[in-house]
Order: sequence, then structure tokens, then C-alpha cells
Amino acid sequence: MQIPTVATAFLRSLLLAAILLFTACGSVLAQGPVASDAETTSGVDVSADEVGSDEAAGSSAAVAASSAEESADEALGFMKRFENKANDAAGWLVNVIATVLFYDISKPFVAEGQEWGLAAVVAYLVLAATFFTLLTGFLNLRAFKHAVLVTMGKYDDPTDPGEVSHFQALAAALSATVGLGNIAGVAIAVAIGGPGATFWMIVAGFLGMSSKFMECTLGQKYREVRPDGRIMGGAMFYLSKGLGELGLGPFGKVLAVVFAILCIGGSFGGGNSFQVSQSMNAVNEQLTFLKDMPWIYGLTMAFLVGLVILGGIRRIAQVAEKIVPLMCGIYVTACLFILLKNVTEIPAALTAILEGAFSPAAGYGGVVGVLVTGFKRAAFSNEAGVGSAAIAHSAAKTDYPVREGIVALLEPFIDTVCVCTMTALVIVITGVYADQSPAVREFIATNQGAALTAEGMRREITWFPYVLSAATFLFAYSTMISWSYYGERCWAYLFGDGSSLVYRILFLICTFLGSIVSATNILELSDLMILAMAVPNIIGLVLLSPKVRRDLTAYWRMYKAGEFIVVSPAPVAEKSA
Amino acid sequence: MIPLKHPTVVVPVDFSDDTEAAIRSGLERVDDPSGLHVVHVLVPLDYASPGVMFGTISDASREKAIRENLGKILAKIGVAGVQVAVPIGDPGLKITDYAKDINADLIIVPSHGFHGVKRFLLGSTAERIIRHAHCSVLVLRRRDAD
Repeated sequence: MQIPTVATAFLRSLLLAAILLFTACGSVLAQGPVASDAETTSGVDVSADEVGSDEAAGSSAAVAASSAEESADEALGFMKRFENKANDAAGWLVNVIATVLFYDISKPFVAEGQEWGLAAVVAYLVLAATFFTLLTGFLNLRAFKHAVLVTMGKYDDPTDPGEVSHFQALAAALSATVGLGNIAGVAIAVAIGGPGATFWMIVAGFLGMSSKFMECTLGQKYREVRPDGRIMGGAMFYLSKGLGELGLGPFGKVLAVVFAILCIGGSFGGGNSFQVSQSMNAVNEQLTFLKDMPWIYGLTMAFLVGLVILGGIRRIAQVAEKIVPLMCGIYVTACLFILLKNVTEIPAALTAILEGAFSPAAGYGGVVGVLVTGFKRAAFSNEAGVGSAAIAHSAAKTDYPVREGIVALLEPFIDTVCVCTMTALVIVITGVYADQSPAVREFIATNQGAALTAEGMRREITWFPYVLSAATFLFAYSTMISWSYYGERCWAYLFGDGSSLVYRILFLICTFLGSIVSATNILELSDLMILAMAVPNIIGLVLLSPKVRRDLTAYWRMYKAGEFIVVSPAPVAEKSA
Repeated sequence: MIPLKHPTVVVPVDFSDDTEAAIRSGLERVDDPSGLHVVHVLVPLDYASPGVMFGTISDASREKAIRENLGKILAKIGVAGVQVAVPIGDPGLKITDYAKDINADLIIVPSHGFHGVKRFLLGSTAERIIRHAHCSVLVLRRRDAD
């Protein structure tokens, strides 16, 4: 009696998903193939300049033709044909989204051929971050010490409503952002933009702290505490409820739904398939048999993720989440070791970074080119302004939304200003970014950032690439688990708590596809969705910024007046007035 | 119809605005509060939210929270001795299973009246209860029904 009902509900949901998918595919297939190169969030940067150009379309056709030839001999021929069709379909969508998000905003102002390559979405994220930094009076500087103390538990009150401590919420959010982008993306950014890109990346990471503060404060402010003690929060809640308070209810609802759809898409792609394909590139340098049989990697990943999300073996996820900070520590230690080993070269490297930032050597696209490369890398790595982290931060135990926002400041700091900078310094000091050997050029040309970082580190610590491969795998795994949580929350927001089984199955299918789908358009489309989340999110952040400012002023006054109870060393169960 | 002696009534609740009204409606149909069983079904716990990751949220903590919150509502109504159950799983099925286990005479269910995509995806808990119940089912139209 039970099985038919569950099955009916499942089939019903699957049917709806299929209808949506086929409607989308049908409409795009009719448009014919258009390929594009676009920017990607998590690891690989592909030039956005040729979006929709004839050249890109031509290369896609060539790829399709060569794939068709191979598929004749392959047992997976059908799979390949399907992939090509889907790739062409995705190409159209990528083209549409990329045309908007990566529209070069310098185009109307400069002569043809002189464009800066300043993608609209990057400008949008950086402008918003600058605005929030000014609005909060450089909170990212003046609240830094307070953020560290709060994270250390000095203000923890176990009786406050919420699921986890400030530290735990920060750790959970970091596991979704610290990952492949920090290892792979940064290496490519330095290779493309030169050492100077590091400087602008740090500047953007610093500004991004303010965006994180805004979104995580709002995530807390408009979260829902369910009767069973679970917390539901995130951009979809502050967009709908927050804008509702401003009398923009229907608009807020639309933004919330758009955000949720993009987040689900991003969780299938950038937070899933993309992680699989990128980590596979790093792992198959050590396990070479995977180059011929990538599906083994896909199946393994899908199995390991499935154990957690379908099998309910939460222990694995818990262990992975605990290993990741350790891996992160090992990675940073290895970077520091390399820096110490080459301590005499550090001044020269710093000079190269500063000089490169303001007067770059030829071939790096001028100051603007370097600046844009650095900004992009920071924005894509720490996801500040995208709104995803607010889902995790809303779970923190506190009575003061601003307090968790201040903790969230540390996220871009750790992700970008610390970890990304470490990678960049290693790439600069080892000189691998400017290496002209064919192997290194090949890594750069094919955007294999993880391989480039591994090459740099191998020159200093011969065995480290093995550790790096393991770290890459774990980073990918924990990012996937975290993103599946973000996606599922958005799914639950749209369709209710009861239908998450459908989401989980779709997620695992995408995990597997990540290993065998070499089609760039599909990967890019899914990845673009994460960046596209910034569009509804930042509209909400700006509209709600007066509320955040008011809350911040009140909180800061209480903090300065010493009205908060500082617990040390053991938390007490009394609340401050 | 022969009047029921010591009837047993099951009232599923989801903490929406009409929870109190549903419980009151149940109380009208029992001769002793111990005959009223208030049931809240929990959806299975997720696997990667921060609370689950760090072990601060568990099925036990959720059940405790539900019992506390239900206790507050029952105290507000001013009734004692009502039975409370917090099973985990599919709401429709768990409620009818529970009703069957205790051999209930009636299930009183408030209905959301969802339409559109939500209805299509979730179905209706009330509908499922009606389909699977072994006993009579009274559907209360909710004030916030759309």
C-alpha cells in the first residue's frame, strides 16, 4: 500500500521534470546550434570575448563532427549523439545567458578592437561590493576583530534560536566555496593576467566581504524557524519576505523564484557536474587509466555522493566536511613551505605583483585586462553577491542577524585573500605562469588550472601532486555535498519538503554526466547559473540595504557600549539585554 | 447511527494557523481528552544542512521540539491528557498507519487546498488520507485555503 503511493508521487514529479526538460529542449533545438565560450565560476576560465562568434560556432561544429566519427566505433555512440544534440541545445541557452552576463560594458565607449573584456556580471558584482563597503563604512576593516572573536565563540549563547554555532555555520559555508576554484582557477588567472592579477583579486576579495555581510545578515533576518527546530533561510526568503515588507511583494516573489530556479540549476552544474569533470582532470594525472574510462570516475563519484544523499549515510558527509579543513590546512602549509623555501624571492614576487597590477608587461591586456582577470577570479571563487552562502549562514544560533553577517565577512577573506593568494604566490614564485615549455603551455591553453598548480608545486615538493590530487577530490566532493544542500533547499522552497527525492535523483544523474559529458556548452550553462543568481540577489540586497544599515547601526552602538555578554571560556546561558 | 462510546480521534497538525481550531474540533468529538491523538509527521531529515553536519539537529531533537511546541498549543487551549505522536515519513501514509494502529474511529484533517504545481507535485495530504484511511475522515476547510 505504501509503495504505490510513494511511486505515484515520484512518477508525478518526474513527469513534470520531463515535461519541463522537453519543452526547454524542444524550443532550443528549433533554434539550431550556436556555440559560445563563456566564463566559468569554479575552476576554468575560458575567454568570454568570442561569445557567439563565427569562430566559436565553427570550432563547435568541428568538435561535433569529430565526435560523430568516433561514435561510430563506440558502444556509447548513441550517448555521444544525444550529448551532441543536448550540447547544441545548451549552446543556444549559454549564448543567451552569456550574451547578457558577459556583455562587455566597455563596448559602447571605446573603439572596436579596444574593448576591455569587462563582463557585465563582474562589473555588477564589484560595483555592488564597493557600494556595500561604502554603505557600511568599511565594516570589512572595522568589524574584523569582532568577527574573529564571534567566530571563536566569545559571544555564543546556546539558548539562542538556531541550529549551529557561528563557527560551524562559517565552516559549512566555506566548504561550498573553498574548492577547485582556489587551486585551479587562480593558476589560470595568473597565467592569463600575469602576477598583477593577484593584487586585483585581493582587492575584489576585500570588497566582496561587504556583499557577504549584506546577504548573510538578511539571510538571518528573514529566516524561518520550523516547529521542529530546523532553520530555513536564504536569498529566496529575504527576497520574498523582505521585499514584501517594502510593498514589493509580487516582485520579490518573482525574484525569489528566479533565484531558486537558478540555484537548482547551479547546483546541478557548477556545484556538481563541473566539480566532477574538473577534479577528474586533476585525478587522472595520477590515475591515468581514467583518461580512457572516465565513466568509472563518474560512477564512483555518483556512488559516494549517493551513499550520503540517497543512502542516508550522513557519517560520510560529516567525515568529508571534517577532512576538508585539514586538507585546506595542508595545502596552505605546503604553500607557506614553498614561500619560506624561497623567502629571498618574496620581495621580487611582491614587486612583480604590484608592478603587474598598475603597469603590466606586454601580453597581459593592459591594466584593465589584469584588473578584470583578478576581479573575475575573486568574484567566481568566493561567490560574494551570489546569495548562496546565506542559506548556510541562516542556520547559526543568534538573536542578532548582524552578528552572523559579520562572521560571514571572514568567508571571502579566508577564501580569496588567504587561500587564493597562497596559490597565486606559489604560481608567481615558481615562475610556472611564464614557463614556455610545451607541457605548461598546453595546461594553460586547455585551462587545466589544477595541473598547472600541481606542476608549480612539483618543482618544489616532488611528491606533492599526489596530495594535491587527493585534496582536489575531497574539495570537489565536499563542494558537491554542500551545493546539493543549497539546491535542495531551493527545491523545497519551490515544491515543498516532501519532493526532495526527485531532486536527489536528478542530482546524481548530473554527477555521473559530469564525467562523460565533454560538451563545453552543457558545463558552461550549468555553471553560468551560479553567476546568474547574483542578478536577483543583488537587486534584493540593494533594495533592502537601508534595513541592514539600520540594524548595523543599532548593533554597533550596543557593541561599542559593551552591552553584549562576552562568554569566556565556557558559554553561559544568560542573554545580554 | 449508533453513537460511539469512548471514540478515538486522530488530528494531524502542521502548525499552520488552523492547528488550534482542528484540535478544538477533535476535542468536541471525544468524551475524554485521552481519546484525542494529535499527530505531527516529520519529513525525513536532510543530510547536509549545518545542523545535521555538526550533529546539533537529529530526529530526537526534532521530536523534542515538536512535543514542546505542541505542548504550548495544548496548554493554551487548556487541555491535558491528549496523546501526541511524532512519526517520520510521508505525512499521508504515516497518519493513516497511525490511525489504523490505534484503531481510531475518525481522522479530522485540515486541508490546504493547494492548486497548480504544488498540488501536482505534492498531491494532497488530505486526499491521501481519505484514500488510505480505514476509518471515517472529516476534512476541515482551512481559513487560509487558496
